[in-house]
Amino acid sequence: MTETDADWSALMRAANGGDTRAYGRLLHLVTPVLRGIVRARGRAFSPEAQEDIVQDVLLAIHLKRHTWREDSPVKPWLYAIARYKVIDAFRARGQHVQVPIEDFADVLPAEPQADPTERSDALKILGQLDPRSAELLKAVSLDGADPAETGRRLGMSEGAMRVALHRALKRLAELRERQMP
Amino acid sequence: MRTDDLIRALAADEVKPASVGARLAWLPLALLLAGGALLGIIGIRPDLAAALVAPVTALKNLLPLALGLAALALAVRLTRPDATAPVAGLIVFPLVALALFVYGLSQMPMADWGRGLMGQSAAFCVPAIVLTALLPLAAAMRAMRSGASTDPGRSGALTGLACGALATAIYALHCNEDNPLFFVTWYGLAIVIVAGIGAVLGRRLLRW
Repeated sequence: MTETDADWSALMRAANGGDTRAYGRLLHLVTPVLRGIVRARGRAFSPEAQEDIVQDVLLAIHLKRHTWREDSPVKPWLYAIARYKVIDAFRARGQHVQVPIEDFADVLPAEPQADPTERSDALKILGQLDPRSAELLKAVSLDGADPAETGRRLGMSEGAMRVALHRALKRLAELRERQMP
Repeated sequence: MRTDDLIRALAADEVKPASVGARLAWLPLALLLAGGALLGIIGIRPDLAAALVAPVTALKNLLPLALGLAALALAVRLTRPDATAPVAGLIVFPLVALALFVYGLSQMPMADWGRGLMGQSAAFCVPAIVLTALLPLAAAMRAMRSGASTDPGRSGALTGLACGALATAIYALHCNEDNPLFFVTWYGLAIVIVAGIGAVLGRRLLRW
C-alpha cells in the first residue's frame, strides 16, 4: 500500500466538500484493499460472490459516509464498515466468520478475478428498480454518461435527477441486502 | 454491474445523507408532544416545587433525566462504526437506584414494605410511561437509522433506554409517590420495558 492514511483522509475530506473526483479516486484506491480482505476471508466463495461482497461494502461506505468525523483518521472508519459488511455478507450466505480488525492492515490489495456484469441476479435487482431509476443508474454507471445530461434526456430537472440517483442507490443497497443468497 | 461502474455511479451521487444529529432534532419535539399530552391529561403535581426540596424526591426526578441523557449520548456515539461506547458507566444508575431502594426499606417497618412497594398507582404508572415513550422512541429510532452502528441490538437498547428514562422524567412531574420502594421498582420496570422494545426494534431497523 503506497497511500498513507493521511492521503485517504484528505481525499475523503475533499469528497465531503463536494469534490467528486477525489471521491471516485478514494473509492478506486480502497477497492483493491477491500477485495484483498474479502478474498482472504472468503475463500469458500466464488469470485463472483466475492466481488458482490466488495460492492456491498462500497455501497455501505457511500451511504454511510456522513458517519465519518473529519477530525478522525479515515482508515479505522473504513475498516469498521468493511468488517461489519463482510461479516454480514458471510452470515447471509450461511457462514460465520471471525474478522479481526487488525488483519485488515496487512492484507494484499487484489485485482478483480471475476466480472459480475453477467450475473443474472445483479440484473434482476436492477430490474426491480422503477424503470427511470434503472435507466438513470445504468446510464451513469455502465455508459459513464454525465448525470445532468442523462437527467435531461429522461425529462428530469437537475435537482430531481440528483435525488433520483441517490434514491436509486439506496434502493439498490436495500434490494441487495434482502436478496443475499 | 462491474465494480468500476458502481464506483462511477457512487461518485456521481452528490446528495448528502441526513445526519443523525439533524434527524435527532425531532426527538425534543416528540418528547414535548408526548409529554405534553400526558401531563395535559393527568396534570403536574401541585406541590412539585415544595416536594423537590426533599433529596429523595429530587433524585426521583433527576435520576431518570440523567440516565436518559447519558444513554442518548452513548447511542449517538455508537452510530459511528469506528466508535466504542463505554456502556459500563451506566451501572451507576442501577446502583444509585438500589441504594435508594435500600434506604426506602430502612425508613419503614417491615410490615409496611408491601404497601410501600405497591403505592397507589403502580398499575397506571408503568403503562403510562411506556406509552409516553413510544413517539419519542419512533423519532429517535429514525435518527439512529441514519447512523452506522455495528451493534444494532445494543444501539436499539440504548435508544429505548434513553426514551424510557426521559418519558419517566416527564411522568415524575405528575407522580406524587415519593417512596423509593415504589418509584425505583415501577419506574425501573417501565424503563427496562422500553429498553427491551428498543433492543428488538434495533435488531430489525438499525441494520444496514
